[in-house]
Amino acid sequence: MEKLSFAEIDNTVNATLEPPGRMYWTVVALLFCGVLVGAACWGWQILVGIGAGGQNSPVNWGTYLINFVFWVGIAHSGTLISAILYLLRAGWRNPIARAAETMTVFAVCTAGLFPFIHLGRVWMVYYMLPVPNQRTLWPNFQSPLMFDVVAISTYLIVSVLFWYTGMLPDFAVIRDRAAGVRKKIFTVLSLGWTGRYEQWRHYSRGYLLFAALATPLVISVHSVVSWDFALGVAPGWHTTIFAPYFVAGAIHSGLAMVLTLMIPMRRIFNAQRIITMHVLESVAKTIVFTGLIVGFAYATEYFIAWYSRNSVEMEVFAFRSTGDFALQYWIMVICNSLVPLLFFIKRIRTSIIWLFAISIAVNIGMWFERFVIIISSVARDFLPHAWGDYAPTGIEYGIMLGSFCLFFFLFFLFVKHLPSISMTEMKELQHQAGAHD
Amino acid sequence: MTNHDTHITALFADDAQAAEAVSALRQTQWPVADVHGPIPSQAVSEALGIKKSGVGWFTLAGGVFGFFLGYFLAVFTSARWGLIVSGKPVLSYIPFFIVGFEFTILFSVLANVLGLILLMRLPANRDLPRYRPECSADRFGVVVGCRQAEAPEVRRFLTELGGEMPGQADTQRDS
Repeated sequence: MEKLSFAEIDNTVNATLEPPGRMYWTVVALLFCGVLVGAACWGWQILVGIGAGGQNSPVNWGTYLINFVFWVGIAHSGTLISAILYLLRAGWRNPIARAAETMTVFAVCTAGLFPFIHLGRVWMVYYMLPVPNQRTLWPNFQSPLMFDVVAISTYLIVSVLFWYTGMLPDFAVIRDRAAGVRKKIFTVLSLGWTGRYEQWRHYSRGYLLFAALATPLVISVHSVVSWDFALGVAPGWHTTIFAPYFVAGAIHSGLAMVLTLMIPMRRIFNAQRIITMHVLESVAKTIVFTGLIVGFAYATEYFIAWYSRNSVEMEVFAFRSTGDFALQYWIMVICNSLVPLLFFIKRIRTSIIWLFAISIAVNIGMWFERFVIIISSVARDFLPHAWGDYAPTGIEYGIMLGSFCLFFFLFFLFVKHLPSISMTEMKELQHQAGAHD
Repeated sequence: MTNHDTHITALFADDAQAAEAVSALRQTQWPVADVHGPIPSQAVSEALGIKKSGVGWFTLAGGVFGFFLGYFLAVFTSARWGLIVSGKPVLSYIPFFIVGFEFTILFSVLANVLGLILLMRLPANRDLPRYRPECSADRFGVVVGCRQAEAPEVRRFLTELGGEMPGQADTQRDS
């Protein structure tokens, strides 16, 4: 690890908060236009009804659920990096922990929109809250969908609080260097943080507890998401492997998104000395690990289908790899399981272009994984006369575009207005390495 | 402890020096009013004799409360439904564990935050007058209380320990 003084760390991070140029605002404006496209499509759907989307019997869960699961998955590696690797004292996480946490918060916000979109009559959303509706019916907590409401809401609240708490000392650094309105804003945001040892005493303990609580939470959240499917009696869904399979897949996709975001970020902000090649390489190695788990899960699904001798189960899995959605299936297998194996080669995992390209491939593959899981099982259910196909409509594509633009729009705003690299954690890392001054 | 009417802040380049200064000051009649730093430091905490934070008790209490609240909510709402869904009993205690678990985490974290706010006494803007901005960057600030007449002596003592004396480091006692 390169030696950096505390001042160099502060200077590098504070430089990211300099007033942005025209190019930045152009990109932000374009992303905002994408958000407006998504909002307009959603508005149209509310106006004409949920039929504006391509979801119909038997495929009642289409891109809205695919994107929901995709974005929840993206969120997960943020918590892996910020909480689980914090507990494991993996030093390489420190430079990217803040950006990964931010990714978590924005990805959960984006994911959280999709149940609203999929409701159709969005004003009925209060049916999901633990209050009786006008027919004095309460939500049914035996339903995995209600587990999901509780889990995702908890995840969002915990992620936001964890994120904000982690930024307190960094807000103080910016406050102490700022002037005018900015100083006032950061004085409020930093809550008067002064780095008193009485504060550090409680903060360090509280942050550790945050990490300890976020760790089981992140595992539970995607397990609960997987049970949306696994508790349904549909071939290809009703299986106990879903929870670990989904958790590994979520971390796989999230790590790929970390690379997708970090590689341009380190270049744009000249943060190569902080987000070093060692950090990116460590992410790549973790992607190899999660890719192997995901590949193993794909193989296990086929083995269990064959071993069960259940004809419907075998039919569904044969359909996945050879039927109408075979293209999506093979994109999934190649991008998620085979392409990441290239990271075994050191030259590839230390090449920025390869890292970026493979991260994009994994993102695409993981989106298609959700497509294959969600669509193929219900498209080929138990009864052949109930079989059907599914293709997204323009409205769904518009909403999907809007969701991607929303995520990147929020992230772009974040990196220029809040510290995208944790100065405190970087200083701690340097201090542990004995590199201070 | 002497009555003191002013505070002097010395800045140290690293935590080991700051810890050494704190230990030395504890042998004198001048109390260490505060130590500020950009990162937590084991050496400084030990020199100050800081005990483990009690925030965990808040977290534990929140978790226990959340677990029972989650379970209660699931049981209560199901009892109000009174319908058998998916062949499960009306009161399906095993699936309700998921609600109990999520509420455990949620309320643990909320209580953790509440504990932090109360114990750290946030917002703490009243601390800012005695604080040097260098302490959020790369310096460890040791704040010493003393009488105005003793200030030169305290400064000399701190300088000998390696402390830097930034301009206007003395702050009148605000109470």
